[in-house]
Amino acid sequence: MAEGAEKEDVPVFENIDVNTKPFHLRSFRNLWLEALKPRLYSFSNTDPAREEVELMQEMGISPETLEELKTICSTDALRSHPEEEAPDPDVVPPEPKLATLKLRKKRQDYKKTLLRESIGRHDIYANEMEMLALGRKPEDPTDFVQEGEMILTFNVLYPVLFERFKYVRAYQTLLVLGSQKLSELRDGICCVSDLQVFGEFSSTPDMVPQFISKDHYKSAFFFFEGTFYNDMRFPECRDISTTTREWAKKNDFPEFKSTKMEDTTFYDLRLKVGYPYLYCHQGDCEHVVILTDIRLAHRDDCLDAKLYPLLTHKHRVATRKCCACHLYISRWITTNDPHAPSEPCLYCDQCFRSLHYDEQGNKLGDFNAFAYVDPGAFN
Amino acid sequence: MEHYKASLQTDCEQILGSFQASNSVRFEEFSKIWKQTDFSSIFHGISQIGEKRIFTRLALTVASPYLFPPYTFQIRVGGLYLLYGLYNSQSVTPKEKIRLALKDWSDLIKFQQDAVNAQHYDVVYILKKLLSDKALYFTAMPDPLSFNAKRKQKEGGNLNEMFVDRPSRPQELISTDMLEELANVHEHYEKLKQAVSAQAEKPELNLVKQNMVPKLHSAVVSYYSWQQNHTEFESQDAESDRGAGEGTTSQEESSRRAKLLESIKARSYGQAVEASRSRRHRQVEVTSAATNSEPAAGSSRYTSKAPSLKERTELRFLNQGDQNEGLQGVTRIWRLSAVEKEKIEEGKRPRFNWSSEREGDEA
Repeated sequence: MAEGAEKEDVPVFENIDVNTKPFHLRSFRNLWLEALKPRLYSFSNTDPAREEVELMQEMGISPETLEELKTICSTDALRSHPEEEAPDPDVVPPEPKLATLKLRKKRQDYKKTLLRESIGRHDIYANEMEMLALGRKPEDPTDFVQEGEMILTFNVLYPVLFERFKYVRAYQTLLVLGSQKLSELRDGICCVSDLQVFGEFSSTPDMVPQFISKDHYKSAFFFFEGTFYNDMRFPECRDISTTTREWAKKNDFPEFKSTKMEDTTFYDLRLKVGYPYLYCHQGDCEHVVILTDIRLAHRDDCLDAKLYPLLTHKHRVATRKCCACHLYISRWITTNDPHAPSEPCLYCDQCFRSLHYDEQGNKLGDFNAFAYVDPGAFN
Repeated sequence: MEHYKASLQTDCEQILGSFQASNSVRFEEFSKIWKQTDFSSIFHGISQIGEKRIFTRLALTVASPYLFPPYTFQIRVGGLYLLYGLYNSQSVTPKEKIRLALKDWSDLIKFQQDAVNAQHYDVVYILKKLLSDKALYFTAMPDPLSFNAKRKQKEGGNLNEMFVDRPSRPQELISTDMLEELANVHEHYEKLKQAVSAQAEKPELNLVKQNMVPKLHSAVVSYYSWQQNHTEFESQDAESDRGAGEGTTSQEESSRRAKLLESIKARSYGQAVEASRSRRHRQVEVTSAATNSEPAAGSSRYTSKAPSLKERTELRFLNQGDQNEGLQGVTRIWRLSAVEKEKIEEGKRPRFNWSSEREGDEA
């Protein structure tokens, strides 16, 4: 039985290729650390000479054999062309033998036949964010990510805000360290509903308060494996999971637990990899959160612990432009507006002011104006 | 990028297949095959950096399962060399890492131990080199998982049977030691039973068959001989209808069947072309629907779907046209086919067919 208990924390599939069974993250990490020699996951280079001596001892071979082994197994043995006349790696070789290359060549030939080759901006910048932090070292040595730390990858999906989001699973990817608190991930997630400003400002467009909903409504929770993790860091925070829990109690559902998000690190959790969980903030802005990957930190990762949670992927949204100039991103939304071509209507700051106010700043006509935050503003 | 998965798999299986044919586990042998096929060039010809990284990741993902059971030792060695080659010939910096799941770690250690015991220095050396080069990510799962993203691409079991050891579980389970042990236990049990009931044997205590041990033995032996016969038969069968020796027989059989079905279907749809002139514009769509259905029948992944409303309406119109025989005679088939061709040229360009390469290989 003892063996079985230990095996529980070795992740295995629950549904093949979809998600794993739940396992405790700290025990999982400990299993890896027990299995590995510290130098296998250390960030520093290992001494090659020492490795060789060890290998010779282990295998009982002479230095000559090792030398021979090294030449046989060197990566030069895999080169099919001499170094100086290596073919251009940006060109598919003529007459390829490999199926992949045949397919790529076919694709390229097809692309040439297209009249207009579209260069997707999105493709070009797709991994730009990932590259930014790669191999970054902190200035202050105390900020180093510790060796043997776990890096968790979370995909945070956007709630369906628009019609078109129904067909695309828009998400952002965040990397967090296992030793971080859940609240740190919560602060790392950016969502437009945190930035809304409530109220009607048509008569006082210059007086828009700087308070956004994030400052007003600070409650939020994560829901992992039957437990609500509430954000209770501020006095005005409320346990917004109460309603759900009480409802569950009344309707004969298994009881849900609730704890504080700021007291829990990721190592304390039992999670399934690849399983959808919930992050809810602003009362009803609900994001599906998926833990896609857990692994030991590698020396090529971003090693500055201060940069975590690290945003590595973001879905790009086409911004909605001002209806007057079609140039700038909208800042205002109006309703009941006699000047507007549509109802509701979006304006950039400049167009909004020049169209709706005279030179002295007096309101022209009767309309309602609200501040508008474009979902694409984060791009 | 996912489109390259199938072709990458064929490439990997090709190189591992020829490595298997060489009957060796030496790296020299592997590197010779690698050079012959110019396998490093698999990374060539990608113009965008982002795409390069994704492709590299995909290539390593496709290659890594070959390192683990249920593949035979030789294939696993080939898999290791393949990963080593791919890792070192990739063109992105920092290099994309090989992902290793915790559940596979013990397998890897066992594999290493096997290699040490069998004195395969090159295997051990390369494994150690990968580890000391920090070429591995130590992860929870072999791939990042993002819930049901893969549901659509799922294609049955893609295990290449050529590379797998024949199942020998029954033989492993029932060894001579185990049989002996069982016989001892049985004897002991009989003795105990006698001790308990001193009197004559009670029939209600005869719960276990007396000849269990020999029966078990003979069952395993007969299973083994059946397996032997079966594989012989299979290999004969395979030789007779396999040309280049790729793919499994059952696959080819099914694809042959699918083709037969397709041709029957095509013929039956082809007859429907004759219809009233006034419905001619609909005809074109019907014939194209027939061609669309062909790949679906071939892959057998999508089992027969109920026809859509559009299709059903068209069929109904067709039937009405049949009743109207006076008009039907006017339509000529060649005329219709010409119209169809024109339409393709004028209209949208055909989209790139990612899967054609694979199908071409199988045919």
